[in-house]
Amino acid sequence: MHDAPVLSWKVAGLLLGLLVILATALVKPFGVSTQYVVTDAIVLHNAAPTVAEANEYINKYGEKSDWGVGYGWMLVLGMFLGSGISALVTRRFRQRETASMPSMWKEQFGNHPGKRFLHAFIGGVLLLFGARLAGGCTSGHMISGISQLTVGSFVFGASIFASGIVTARMLYKKVMS
Amino acid sequence: MKLLLGLAIGTAIGAVMQLGGASSYRKILGSLLLKDMTIIKLILMTIAVTTVGIYALDLVDLANMDIKPTYVLGIIIAGLIFGVGFAISGYCPGTCVLASAEGKTDAMFTILGGLVGAALYAVVYPFMAPLINLTNYGEITLATVFNVSNGIWIAIPFSAILLLLVFRVLKDRYE
Repeated sequence: MHDAPVLSWKVAGLLLGLLVILATALVKPFGVSTQYVVTDAIVLHNAAPTVAEANEYINKYGEKSDWGVGYGWMLVLGMFLGSGISALVTRRFRQRETASMPSMWKEQFGNHPGKRFLHAFIGGVLLLFGARLAGGCTSGHMISGISQLTVGSFVFGASIFASGIVTARMLYKKVMS
Repeated sequence: MKLLLGLAIGTAIGAVMQLGGASSYRKILGSLLLKDMTIIKLILMTIAVTTVGIYALDLVDLANMDIKPTYVLGIIIAGLIFGVGFAISGYCPGTCVLASAEGKTDAMFTILGGLVGAALYAVVYPFMAPLINLTNYGEITLATVFNVSNGIWIAIPFSAILLLLVFRVLKDRYE
């Protein structure tokens, strides 16, 4: 298929596992979703410091006149760079038929970039609201959490797949029937 | 120094995930529709390797573990919300970053949505205390639950089961 991954799941899983082990040995387990709060906190501490300091949650992250970009934030920046580089090297940058939407989505919902952006945006809101309530996302809970045998991470994994599977089936009813 | 280390590890992780197809909408929706097991196998393979690795490091006291608290009710609700977002966007908080770097413009909206979602959580955070404090069992792992003094004795069979799953049990419907 046109978007068959360059690396098989075996090789990618092995390498990713080794990298997470390395991160855990050198610094701490791997996680992404906290960095969304850090980004919000950095912006807010600089744009509206009083609001930032008044908020119990935001106040835990970032500081005034300190861009507060730490290890975790740099890791996410690195992920952006790494993905971009490997997409360019393997000639898969903007490889998609339409940059604004996946072809699978287009077949189901039509050629409506605005609607796709809305789905992507609302999805993002729910993802991070859920991840912050849980204290981690696919990386911090699913991969790093389950790998540390954390009980809550098993609960999180089961619960995201339960609702993810139901929602995906509702979105792609036509395909499933 | 730590910043550069973060950047280096992140770059490697981003490249491996992108090359493994983790940022592909088709692959993620394929997993949720239970038609394409690639991403599920990738995640389980990663966990199988990492679990044994981390607990082996822990034997020689080299693992910087970070166990998250298990507040069952809050985590279930959080997971249910997250799962809906996962299916609607087709990304997760990490893979939308990867996909944005690949020039997929919809993924950039997921990042924006994520920033809004995190801010929204910050606003309602004071009211979330009951969800976090009720049914909170603290920083427990399977080793705590089964009262095993060293996690490696659970890590080894657990990883073995995952390997059995990915190599023998899970099959793509189209394979």
